[in-house]
Amino acid sequence: MTARTDELTSLETDDPGNWTTRLRGRIEGLVPAGQALPARQPVYVASWIYIFGVLTLTSLVVVIASGCVLALGGVQWWHVSSLGHYVNSVHLWSVELFFGFMVVHLWGKFWMAAWRGKRALTWISGMMLFGISIGTSFTGFLSQSNFSSQWIGAEGKDGINSIGAGAFFNVLNPGQMLLWHVVLLPLGVGLLTLLHIILVRRRGVVPPLDAELEG
Amino acid sequence: MSALSIVAGAPGKYISWGVIQISVANLAIIGAMVLLFILALVVPFPTHDEQPEQEGRTQ
Amino acid sequence: MSRDRTPDSHDFPTRRYDLVKEFVIALVVVLVLSGALAAVFSSPDEKAITMSGWAKADPDNLVTTAAGELAGTTTSAGYGAPYNTAAEGQKLGPIPMQKLGGVRIPINSADLVLGPLSNSSIDPAVSSAVATWKAATPDQQTKWATAYSDAIGTAAADGAPATGAGGEVAKVKPGEYGPVPALSSGLLALAKTGGLEGALTSSGNFYGGDQTKSLLLLADGAYLEDLAVAQNLGGDQWGMMNEVGNAPGQPWMWLYTFWYQVKPFSTSDNADAQVWGLMMLLTLLLMFLPFIPGLRSIPRWIPIHRLVWRNYYRTKRA
Repeated sequence: MTARTDELTSLETDDPGNWTTRLRGRIEGLVPAGQALPARQPVYVASWIYIFGVLTLTSLVVVIASGCVLALGGVQWWHVSSLGHYVNSVHLWSVELFFGFMVVHLWGKFWMAAWRGKRALTWISGMMLFGISIGTSFTGFLSQSNFSSQWIGAEGKDGINSIGAGAFFNVLNPGQMLLWHVVLLPLGVGLLTLLHIILVRRRGVVPPLDAELEG
Repeated sequence: MSALSIVAGAPGKYISWGVIQISVANLAIIGAMVLLFILALVVPFPTHDEQPEQEGRTQ
Repeated sequence: MSRDRTPDSHDFPTRRYDLVKEFVIALVVVLVLSGALAAVFSSPDEKAITMSGWAKADPDNLVTTAAGELAGTTTSAGYGAPYNTAAEGQKLGPIPMQKLGGVRIPINSADLVLGPLSNSSIDPAVSSAVATWKAATPDQQTKWATAYSDAIGTAAADGAPATGAGGEVAKVKPGEYGPVPALSSGLLALAKTGGLEGALTSSGNFYGGDQTKSLLLLADGAYLEDLAVAQNLGGDQWGMMNEVGNAPGQPWMWLYTFWYQVKPFSTSDNADAQVWGLMMLLTLLLMFLPFIPGLRSIPRWIPIHRLVWRNYYRTKRA
């Protein structure tokens, strides 16, 4: 740090009410120094089960990217273009991979009791991600503008109406369902993913059950 | 034309077992997931036998 | 696990690990897998069914459904919230969940027939039938429509004998049906032109985008459901998990749809609300597992983790 930065920092310490300083402090304190992208991991991180988190994340990247390409062409594009149909297929299969990897990740984290060591919120945010992903995929299937969408809407409405939610969330309204699918729910997925990853980096990878430190 | 082009009205292949009824496609996906889980647990993970850094706090 | 004695992960010895390289490799793997699966297996695109398709494939059913809408005997007519107040709706125990949502998408089932015919019909016989219907009392309307529905009847099925004309409109005996036959066949004729969906748009203006009324009419008939059941998409066929043809659907819905296949849910009038309630409970149990004694100890009792951390445990023993 330069002398100039030293001076600025001490000036800021005298201004603890400053919202900017406080926010910066919170952001910097989210993850221990050097732990956002460390080049080392604890020695017990040595199993293929650990790759399913990053496989889920990269699947999500492909889901979103293929979704963006579909958005370029619009809702009907994939019905009339073979390229559009291929992109739709990539979107479908990346979603299947996303759920497949996510569930294996869940199985792994369960059998490792990964909620230990103040990681309950990591577990909870993961479960919320599972739930909101199911909702996102449901609105996606509703947005196909084909026979499947018609049937899924006709059937799905009964479940959603039965709990009173159908008055606000109309699965027979493709205009509403599409906007939930491409705006609101992905925003929720994105924010929860960010929270989940920050928590993982904050606490580090959970130690083995019954692990003890030397000394 | 792809391997699974859908002909309008042609239903897929399903397997029944008591109350359970599942498509071959879904069963294949679930089977692959279980297999991956088992493999992830038993296949050794390469650690290149290097000496770990002994001190506690990571950089 | 009454006191969590898990050590801080940052206090353990470490090894070199490249997270970014891991991410990039995973991304390439997923891209290649998605691209390959998409190229080999594609994705299903069974064309949306149309009212004219229904009219051509099963005209008797469309006419029967139209009569049912006028008689108030279709599923949508007796649905309850959010469409109307014709039924109490489903309950979760004592809580009237369905009714609590309110009638925020008001649909009068008779309007599914009268709306398109009033606005779109260019057939004077149909216009006259609409006028006759609107001039009659509600009691008279119900009498006509019910009489015509009963006269059409249903085909024999599941051991039950046929009723009325066995579902065949052409064989209906003469009777006091008022304008109902003309209205029902008028709707059939409009469907055949391809104009019925547009006439039923729920969006309220030039721009479409809300298919509520069209889908409710389709769902009231048998055509949509028959096609779906033929593709194993029905509710008692684990349909929630499935897609048309050999495509994968949403296999992660397996537990949600499982309950519909077994009693008491398979025979319950409140099945949808009950299954939702049960799945919400199970989800909450899994979500708050870290705080549930017993359940959170399962990983200890069934030590699969010994496989995950076998290197570490072996090193510790040495």
